[in-house]
Amino acid sequence: MDLLNPYYLQIVMFFIINAIMGISIYFTLTTGQLSLGAAGFMSVGAYVAALITLKADLPIAVGILVGGFVAALVAFIIGFPTVRLRGLYLAIATLGFGEVVRVIFLNMEVTNGALGLSGIPAIAQEMTNYFYELDLDDVMGLDAMTWGNLVTIFILLAILALILAFCIRINNSRVGRAFTAIKADDHAAELMGINVVYYKMAAFVIGAFIAGIGGGLYAHITNFINPTDFSYHKVVQILLFPVFGGTNVVWGSVLGSFILTLLPEVLRFLADYRDIIYGALLVILMAVRPDGILTESMMDTINRKLGFKKSPYIPETQVLTERFEAYKRKMAAQAEEKE
Amino acid sequence: MLLELNNVSKNFGGVAALTGITFGVEQGEIFGVIGPNGAGKTTLFNLITGVFPVSEGEIVFDGMSVVDIKPHRTVEMGISRTFQNIRLFGNMTALETVLTGMHCRTGSGFWSSFVRTKRQRIEEERCRGIAYEFLKLVDLADDAEEVATSLPYGKQRRLEIARALATHPQLILLDEPAAGMNDSETESLRKLIGRIRDLGITVVVIEHDMALMMNICDRMVVFNFGKKIAKGTPQEIQQNPAVIEAYLGKEDA
Repeated sequence: MDLLNPYYLQIVMFFIINAIMGISIYFTLTTGQLSLGAAGFMSVGAYVAALITLKADLPIAVGILVGGFVAALVAFIIGFPTVRLRGLYLAIATLGFGEVVRVIFLNMEVTNGALGLSGIPAIAQEMTNYFYELDLDDVMGLDAMTWGNLVTIFILLAILALILAFCIRINNSRVGRAFTAIKADDHAAELMGINVVYYKMAAFVIGAFIAGIGGGLYAHITNFINPTDFSYHKVVQILLFPVFGGTNVVWGSVLGSFILTLLPEVLRFLADYRDIIYGALLVILMAVRPDGILTESMMDTINRKLGFKKSPYIPETQVLTERFEAYKRKMAAQAEEKE
Repeated sequence: MLLELNNVSKNFGGVAALTGITFGVEQGEIFGVIGPNGAGKTTLFNLITGVFPVSEGEIVFDGMSVVDIKPHRTVEMGISRTFQNIRLFGNMTALETVLTGMHCRTGSGFWSSFVRTKRQRIEEERCRGIAYEFLKLVDLADDAEEVATSLPYGKQRRLEIARALATHPQLILLDEPAAGMNDSETESLRKLIGRIRDLGITVVVIEHDMALMMNICDRMVVFNFGKKIAKGTPQEIQQNPAVIEAYLGKEDA
């Protein structure tokens, strides 16, 4: 059972959290907003969740959820000035926000400053304890710790699946069409009756919520966080997941985080040359596929082949025919009145 | 009067784009706006749809002022438009493009789209039916699943009209709909504008194709250098000396 050693299992956990973080950037990007605040929102989620479980001694699930909501609330407040910004200006403003948050956590007493918070209850440990309590050590040849890790991965996968389902269903709906329209041409979208500010704000807040959840999970996987975990470096790392995998489809973030989380581990034998390969790969990919590995048309073909996507069912309606007839009747009535 | 402009002016810095414009558009008519390039015609559309605030004066639509109202709200009130340069949304099929136009007449939000409530599914289905009707109206039924921006030019223009109609407007503003069209395309556009009127929708159209304008418009105004220089039926406009001067210049005495 070499494959199930705690080290590998932890990499899988980080892959899932990274995928969630990538999706948080992707989701905001579906309205054309490049927000680099993901690390900032992630740290808000991580610290709030950790403080709730550490100091208030509440269940981990409560901490993570509250962390997500606090991140969303922060996004809502800073969203008022930032949703009016575009492109690079928004990127820089949100990057600045992340730095501000980092410095605040660095100087606050409750967050323990530069030392960070340690001893955060780990999900895997809790799960392992359940297995011990139920006296389920050595089930199917696996000890309780392995089971604890596996159950944790399962929980993380369920959360990722929920977020993916949310993104896919939203994409394929009235709201998703508004997002696509805003991304393509926000001026034209506004003039087609779409409340651009509302949808940009909503995408920004939901993206922050997802990042906050990701942060809360991160804190309860690593059981140690400090402000340097959420610096510029983290922002770039998170941004690379959707950029590498494909910025236009939600699966791009999943694929990107999968490759970019595993790659450093696979290349470990190269030691110091690892970063060179990593960097070169990015340059090559951006030159060959600037939209990332997965594109919309590619996903379309795959979905059609797999039978997930069919031509839309179009019912017969008579709305226009009725309107033509109503107009004819009205004109006839007016003509009669004149006579 | 469906649309009334009272003494409307618009300045960009020190440049007067429009000065003292006053006219009204009757319910159910096809109303033309003509004038040389730079006369302020598109600025007029931008003022009516709330893109820019007016510097002076008042615009009243259906008894309500549209001054200081956000663009997406003017669409909800019943004003829709097309653009001088085609502005379709990339990565959308023709059907989705028209569905996007129906946004302000539908109500599914984040939650109902996520859990796919029964109401949301019924709404989506019905919208697809209506969107398809609009595609048929502009003769694009066979292109429903084509990517909008990959359609040929003339079809993109018609798709933009379908998208604008899908907002269920009372008034539609067409900004140079015949630009770049050949004769047969212009002819089908002429028929389409007639059909739009038959839906009970009032049409205001900016166009440089005089043959088309004289043919379809009930009444028109002429702009030059941001001022209204004439108003009347196509026959009156053709004989108006100020209009002839604006287009052809003054004869040297």
